[in-house]
Amino acid sequence: MRAKLFTSLAIVLGLLVGLWLVRPPATRANGDKHEEKGGHAHVPAPIEYADVHVPLSVWTDPAMVARGKEIYMTRCAVCHGDEGDGRGPAGVALPLKPPDFRDKDGVAEMRANYWFWRVSEGGQVEPFKGKGSAMPPWKSELSVEDRWAVMAYQHTFSGHNGPHVPWEHPESVAMGRDIFAMACVPCHGVAGKGDGSVGPMLAPRRAPQPRDFTSAEFKFRSTPSGQLPTTADLFRTLTDGVRSSGGPMTIGLRGHRIMPSFQHMPVAQRLEVLEYVKSLNRGFWERGAVKTVTVPAAPTLTPERLTRGKKLYADAECLACHGERGRGDGPSAPTLKDNRDLPIAATDLTRRERFKNGARPEDVYRTLVTGLAGTPMPSYGDSLEPDQLWDLVYYVLSLSRGGRMAEAGSR
Amino acid sequence: MSKAMFVIVAFFVVGVVSVAHSVADEAPISGTVKAIDTSAKSLTLQTTAQGKTRDVTIVLKPETKIVKFARPTEPRKSGFVEQPLTLSDLKPGWIVSVTTKHEGGNEVAEIVTVVLEKP
Repeated sequence: MRAKLFTSLAIVLGLLVGLWLVRPPATRANGDKHEEKGGHAHVPAPIEYADVHVPLSVWTDPAMVARGKEIYMTRCAVCHGDEGDGRGPAGVALPLKPPDFRDKDGVAEMRANYWFWRVSEGGQVEPFKGKGSAMPPWKSELSVEDRWAVMAYQHTFSGHNGPHVPWEHPESVAMGRDIFAMACVPCHGVAGKGDGSVGPMLAPRRAPQPRDFTSAEFKFRSTPSGQLPTTADLFRTLTDGVRSSGGPMTIGLRGHRIMPSFQHMPVAQRLEVLEYVKSLNRGFWERGAVKTVTVPAAPTLTPERLTRGKKLYADAECLACHGERGRGDGPSAPTLKDNRDLPIAATDLTRRERFKNGARPEDVYRTLVTGLAGTPMPSYGDSLEPDQLWDLVYYVLSLSRGGRMAEAGSR
Repeated sequence: MSKAMFVIVAFFVVGVVSVAHSVADEAPISGTVKAIDTSAKSLTLQTTAQGKTRDVTIVLKPETKIVKFARPTEPRKSGFVEQPLTLSDLKPGWIVSVTTKHEGGNEVAEIVTVVLEKP
């Protein structure tokens, strides 16, 4: 009996040691894929880097590639190697090996914003910092254009001749595509055109319908009118969902949302799916620097502001759609249509839970400045001054029950 | 299985584990030079491993090599040439990689490689 126990223990111990030796912790640090070539886990770039897309022409511009080569040879090759094989003399002894840029599969999985983030922040950010990366951060030493140039030169090692974008490398958005297929296709459709089978059932022959990601019109943005949203805007919509403006078909929807909240989905997965969503619309790659609407600090709520806001509400013709008391029953309300020629309801401003773009003062301010593309809600960014916008924000919020209580409290 | 067999297996396991641990100890450490003590012949690195940032003091022996790699100055030569440095050449803020071994409770450097000289 004892002999059998000892034998079993010895076998178990032997197996554990064997497993530990086959895959010791030191090599696990190199990431999940292509680690034999120094590959690192290609985690999504954080939000602040998510909208950094290298201009398409940079990847193949001989002048930029030459500029990148000069920088690479003086700053990067000592670790990454003259041939981009990750075997530079200073890189050989690093705990986290430099990647092999000749590895077509590994490079194809790297998104441009990930690449730019890595060059900019080096090993100073997680998860690379925790793995002992010695990669220096180059953001303070290389300009944005210099970093693009280095990436363009590094890209040449993989032998790919075109721009480094998702439609050239679908594997870079493979995880997001899988999440999209499971979570988004029923409403947004296989191609993301907003034509899924479930979407129309939520509001038959009425707006809102699921977003067509291939079009240029996105309602919820922090970017000026007519522009595509930022990744942070998409992230906010995905996280919070979209509240319903009411109607019989939306009764019983969880939290009165016509699009569910995905706040329980891990952040990394939300970022992955958004990278896939952006890959459906080349406009995200073809636009230049992304500008966002600045929301100034909120002033103090005073009775005078509310009085001025009430006048603006009438002068700016808000009441034509939203009605004098903000119930969404203005004289124009029955005739409103969206860009798909579908009837659309004016939001009932007395019910904050129905504010689709958020009900905090800064959310309402942003909505007034950007408008809601594809709907009759215009942008007031050019016609009202910031102070006037705040007057209007406070008046709009005062129309709801919570707003009236705040108003009473401010007096 | 006899007791003798079990003892042999146990010794084998302990031996393998010990070797594996000593290999792990010699994994290179990279980090930012925080301090240099030329009299004690040591340098302190701020390093992060397994998610934890810590300061590691590394002792240098006379046979420890400190090197950096530079482009050759001779025309038409490519690649890099190894340039020897001394401990006093290192500066705080530089990023280095150090291969070490564990000796008498100390991390002892075998080769210190400069990855980046920060101005």
